[in-house]
Amino acid sequence: MTSPLVTYQLNKTFGAHQALGALTLEIPFGRVVGLIGRNGSGKTTLLNLACGLLLPTLGTCSTLGRPSGELAAPELSVLGIVAQAGQFINWMTVAQQLQFHASFYKNWDQPREQRLLDELDLNPARKIDELSPGDLQKLGIILGVCHHPKLLLLDEPMSALDPIARQSLLKFLLDLVREDEGTIIISSHLLSDVEKIIDWVVCLDRGELAVSAPYDELQERYAEWIVTPASGSELPRKFAEPWVLAREGDSRRARLQVRLPSSETIAQFSAQHSANVIDSRPLNLEQLFPLLINERSLAQ
Amino acid sequence: MLLVINHHCGVPAYRQIVDQIRLLVASGSLKPGDELPSTRALSEELSLNPMTISKAYSLLEHDGVLERRRGQTLTVKARHADDTQASKIEQLRRSLAGPVGIARQLGISPTEATRLFREMLNPPKP
Repeated sequence: MTSPLVTYQLNKTFGAHQALGALTLEIPFGRVVGLIGRNGSGKTTLLNLACGLLLPTLGTCSTLGRPSGELAAPELSVLGIVAQAGQFINWMTVAQQLQFHASFYKNWDQPREQRLLDELDLNPARKIDELSPGDLQKLGIILGVCHHPKLLLLDEPMSALDPIARQSLLKFLLDLVREDEGTIIISSHLLSDVEKIIDWVVCLDRGELAVSAPYDELQERYAEWIVTPASGSELPRKFAEPWVLAREGDSRRARLQVRLPSSETIAQFSAQHSANVIDSRPLNLEQLFPLLINERSLAQ
Repeated sequence: MLLVINHHCGVPAYRQIVDQIRLLVASGSLKPGDELPSTRALSEELSLNPMTISKAYSLLEHDGVLERRRGQTLTVKARHADDTQASKIEQLRRSLAGPVGIARQLGISPTEATRLFREMLNPPKP
């Protein structure tokens, strides 16, 4: 299956500001991709490039097999976009906006639209300029998904939704993956929500790629250790091993975040520092996030 | 099928599925010949990407816990008694990693810890 989004040395510069620099990545088909990164890391720029709203400064970006600046009806009819700040025709009602939007698509799924209006609890009779930020987000979501997109791009789609609405949305997105057999890229700061549905992580840092990997691989790559000294000794202030990424605690007990090395390396570590690893636990996405960002800086 | 996925503990979803199915098989809740839900059905039930379910099922098939019969349906594979026992021990070992870590952190001696484990294994006194 063709990758739905491929970039090669993609650079986007706005005047003096480089939003993306030499970004090369290939999103695998059929995944639910979590696009994460600090504010200003280039996530929105990447999504806007992917749907052709921006053109590359250098390098290439291909969406659904076509250069992103040349997307035409065949690609656009299966591309879904949920922008961070939706742009609607404010004098319309929800129903009118939906109807207007639907008119552009041959395969608009009316039952899906109704189902979403019900599940997200959005009244179609309401006027858009009277909607709360949460309701506007709900509308943006419905507009982005009823044509059965093969590639769905969501930029911070949940920030204004209450916890119950977020749950509904997450569940729906997974139903979508199953039904439409497409790919979803979701950019969100709500890592504890997003980690419930993603199976691939793309992490950006200052316009460059920090990580692009299956989520379960990342979960298995890192761990948190509790380390105590062998009797009679003290733990060093700092562990020099490059795979020890963070350290907390004192000379008698440390909590380390590590990129798991081989068992031989772990044995060497214990011997060299006269230390025992008494516990090892996996990390969730919120905990992995700073490690992924820092790994990139280390690699430079 | 009663599987529960914890999304925040850092253990990959596919691994949780594999471990829980192994437990169901080893404990007899799933018997040889029992059919497992389709990838689609289970992905819907657990709210996971079908790819994740596929990965778990493939692993279990590869490990000989499940087999594909009649071309399509996944069923529990009958296993040799020794294999089953070894598998049970392995599962208990994995689930003890957490408590062992805690015992070490608390500085509880192996003797004391074993005594506690034995005490908890015995049925509660009426």
